[in-house]
Amino acid sequence: MTLTDASAKDGQTGADDAALVRLASTLDMAIERLERARPFAKSRHQGPVLDVLGRIIAQSGGLGVVRQRAPRMDAAGLFAGSDWDRPEALLPQLVGGTLVSEDPAFQALEAASLARFLAVADGDARHANLHQEGARHFLTQVLALNLRDLFGAPDEAARTLGARHDLKRRVLSHIADHVGLSDVLNVLVTEIWRLLEQRSVQVGVVKDMIAQIAVALNEKGTEPGSTRLGAERLVSALFGPTTASRDDPGLEIYIERISVADESGLSREAMGFARAMHDTGLVSDYHATFLRWALDYDARPLIPEALGLGSTGLDCWRHYRGLIERLVRSAVSPATPQAAYGLAMMLDRGILHHAPMTPALERQLTLGLGGAARERIALGFGPAVPPETYLLAGVLQVLGQPLGVGQGANPTCQSARAIAMWALNDPDYLLHLITQVAEFDTLQMQFEGTPINSADLPAGLAGSGPIDADPVSVLLVAHLDRIYAEMGRLCAGRPGDPHTWINPQFHGWWVSRDCAVAVDVATGKLAGYDDFLRRFFGAYHPEYNGGRPLGHPQPAGIAVTDAQQRFVGWHAIAILRVAEDQSGEMRVYFYNPNNDSGQDWGNGVVVSTSGHGERYGEGSLPFDAFLSRVYLFHDEPLRTQGSQDLPTEAIRAVRDQAIASWAADRQPDD
Amino acid sequence: MTDKNPDKGFVALLGWSLNAIEAVDRFDRRYVVVAPPWAEDYCRQNDIPFVPWDFDRLNERSHELALTLEDMGVDVAIPIFEETVEWAGAVNAVLLKNPRLLGQAMLFRDKSLMKRRAQLGGIRVGVFEEAHDRGDVIRFLKRVNQTLLKLDGDPNDPIHFKAFDKSGTAGHRVIRTPEDVDNIPDEEFPALLESHLDGWEFAVEAWIKNGKIEFLNISEYVTLGYSVFVPATPELEAHRERITEEIEKLIEVFDIDFGFIHPEYFLTSDNKLYFGEVAYRPPGFNALELIERAYGFNGYQGLVLAFDPKTTQEELDAFFPKEVVDAKGHAGCFGVYPRRRVVSRLQVPEETANHPYFEFHELSDPREQKVAKRSAFGTHWGLAYFFGDNAHDLRDLLKRQEELDYYV
Repeated sequence: MTLTDASAKDGQTGADDAALVRLASTLDMAIERLERARPFAKSRHQGPVLDVLGRIIAQSGGLGVVRQRAPRMDAAGLFAGSDWDRPEALLPQLVGGTLVSEDPAFQALEAASLARFLAVADGDARHANLHQEGARHFLTQVLALNLRDLFGAPDEAARTLGARHDLKRRVLSHIADHVGLSDVLNVLVTEIWRLLEQRSVQVGVVKDMIAQIAVALNEKGTEPGSTRLGAERLVSALFGPTTASRDDPGLEIYIERISVADESGLSREAMGFARAMHDTGLVSDYHATFLRWALDYDARPLIPEALGLGSTGLDCWRHYRGLIERLVRSAVSPATPQAAYGLAMMLDRGILHHAPMTPALERQLTLGLGGAARERIALGFGPAVPPETYLLAGVLQVLGQPLGVGQGANPTCQSARAIAMWALNDPDYLLHLITQVAEFDTLQMQFEGTPINSADLPAGLAGSGPIDADPVSVLLVAHLDRIYAEMGRLCAGRPGDPHTWINPQFHGWWVSRDCAVAVDVATGKLAGYDDFLRRFFGAYHPEYNGGRPLGHPQPAGIAVTDAQQRFVGWHAIAILRVAEDQSGEMRVYFYNPNNDSGQDWGNGVVVSTSGHGERYGEGSLPFDAFLSRVYLFHDEPLRTQGSQDLPTEAIRAVRDQAIASWAADRQPDD
Repeated sequence: MTDKNPDKGFVALLGWSLNAIEAVDRFDRRYVVVAPPWAEDYCRQNDIPFVPWDFDRLNERSHELALTLEDMGVDVAIPIFEETVEWAGAVNAVLLKNPRLLGQAMLFRDKSLMKRRAQLGGIRVGVFEEAHDRGDVIRFLKRVNQTLLKLDGDPNDPIHFKAFDKSGTAGHRVIRTPEDVDNIPDEEFPALLESHLDGWEFAVEAWIKNGKIEFLNISEYVTLGYSVFVPATPELEAHRERITEEIEKLIEVFDIDFGFIHPEYFLTSDNKLYFGEVAYRPPGFNALELIERAYGFNGYQGLVLAFDPKTTQEELDAFFPKEVVDAKGHAGCFGVYPRRRVVSRLQVPEETANHPYFEFHELSDPREQKVAKRSAFGTHWGLAYFFGDNAHDLRDLLKRQEELDYYV
């Protein structure tokens, strides 16, 4: 049986049932009232609609009724005033939880929202902020994230949910009937590989998806082919990457097995782990267990092999073996397996050879977390291991994968970018900041000589800080965010964009002191845009800047647009390097603190994350396409002029792209 | 905002009711909301025309409000709540240059004056008396039961206690024992005391223009304070002619030229109609919504027509349907009170959820786990709405709800 067949029987079509017809007419009446209602009174009329919806979706065939009416309910204002009003911002990973919410109104709301996605995906309806592909993609992700509930026999947790779980299952099958399941696995596997290639620090969601694929493969099987191959590669990386762990025997049995293995067997295990880890960026629990066991295996050091170190990493191992073993012992555990990948990548970066790093890491090993900092880590990551272990694991990951830092679902791109750039550029400074917050729950910085102390400042954009990010971000962002906001306040009244002064003060000396802004801050209109573009070429394009490569990452601001080229918002990124890709096209490689760099900005401007010479975590665009979305960049005040003359057409092409998208209504009046 | 007709009246809604505002916003009359200052931000954000006003006790500032509204070009004020009835009277006395309207409003606001006026006009009322303290209540309770030839130890017939100036079921208590009397808070005095009438209780909603009834609805109570439905059962509607006569008497006795009244009556077992009380404002318990569900017209918009001096007879004829025969069915609602001492969540009873008459509910989630003991009729936690063809089935269904747990 194929995956498609499995769900087709749960047909949600025939609306012949009398009760359903009656409920449908009650729903129509409630929708009419909502439609009639003035915007200020929408909320009063949403309740009745949700109430009827809740009863309809419990009926067989009810979801079909809801789907037919979903666009109308949306237009009537069912989602007005809630997060669901912006379908483009909804997170697929939250859908499963809402569908089993205790409050039937939330279940109804989520079902109606999904029905709206379905209507758009089927091409039956259009939505201003949601295009057909986007809707389809969202639903596929929802299915992918909830495969277990679609196929798996209900586990204990699902059984206790009873009717709520049944509803979720029926909603998922209904979606599967419409978008088709055959390509969900395919899309899912492709999606996972695309995400993995960016080597995010946070891999929880990806691991969850792989676990669900494992269930689906196990329950239903699938046709042989490349999809199956890709899926199995993922599943084995997580659940059985080596000979001794192939059958996913459980950690205890695994330890028994390796305890009696011979040297060549152990060596094969170590290499198997290393291969799977570097293939996917994921670390199996068996791998973590193996590493800890290997610490006490005296016959031969297995750690470098199991970490798959390259020549730089091996050199670090020879110099700092004691420190590295202590890091493995303190940071790598079945609750924090990813620390192993962070450690391997950190060693291969060679940053241990940077003199302040070994004492800083030694300090980190003995660092105790106090007060609020301790509570926040515990809140974010749970009690499986002490908060210090989570933090140390997080430190290794951030230092090993600086470009894997993501902002989570928080408006804190500035802070995430800062952490990433320090990890890349100034790792011992980052550890210095971590120590301050861990021990004293404060951060001290200076703004043009004025001391700033985060503990004295009111909460910023992120409130008390995110808990859905990596441990280092969970610790630091609330403080960084406040300091950033305070620097903004200190700039109040200065003419021009405050980032001009904040960025160098906030990040470090290596941020160029001059700053070019494409728009007039007061009017929001383009100002001196051609000069702005010309200057960017002169500063960053190797052919016009005298062939000088970019030394340090430079913060920059981009105007993010959606796939329809509409302006979405200003966003902080960092320019990492400008170079030709394999095909000779000049590209800008940059870091986007957004958790997934691969975004479609419209009109063919699609950020690439692999296949164009990107390193892990980099996004890239052709030079022109990138520049067409830049609105702020830093530039050296003292810079030799390049010899090449910049052709006017180059400027015009970029200008046209900007005007066609985010700057459409920002052209100066004159 | 719907396009407004400049040739029609400009009305002021006295009191804050989103239902009323929304209905009038969709209507063709210009309007302004007069409500306490806390509503100001909301009105500004939503483009609702607004005049901030504190409706405390009526004072000399009523004239100031009248002049403010007159300057804006307002033609008439419509009271939305009991507390704004006398304000509307005072304001309309100025706007319509008719000082009598203030006196009329004072009658509506004082339950005792109202009852005497009705009695003087030859309308049948039950035994009633005014109470200024608890002693008065005990005396009345004893006297009524002596009259009924009860012996010591017989259970008392209840009496009704209604704070003078509270609306609907707020401040309405049923008194059976001296202990019940002790539970009355001081601030509910003075109050009106009434003997209990065994019978069929119902309410009327009447839209009046030029002293003539434009639409008369009979709302049948299943249980006072719990449930009501419209139109009434055929058995009660059989009395429509007599009831209409009674309303015409009220119009005459209270000298009502225009507006909206909401009186309550008892039909006793000996087939006599007793007048309970009358309010010059929309009823509570979302009765206008039930009427809209049954008949399809918006009661608040009807209110505007009835108050607006520039309304024509043609407009009224086109607006109001024909009573009873034009109803699409019977609409009822049930006010839900938690029955258990401790509740944790809302769960519509399965037999209700599956009943074909059940439409939807507007129940709030339990805000507190502990349920306050009901003393006066108090406030329900929300309404459940029903609609169906058969009045008797609907009545029985509403009655049945009283035995079901919506909160568990």
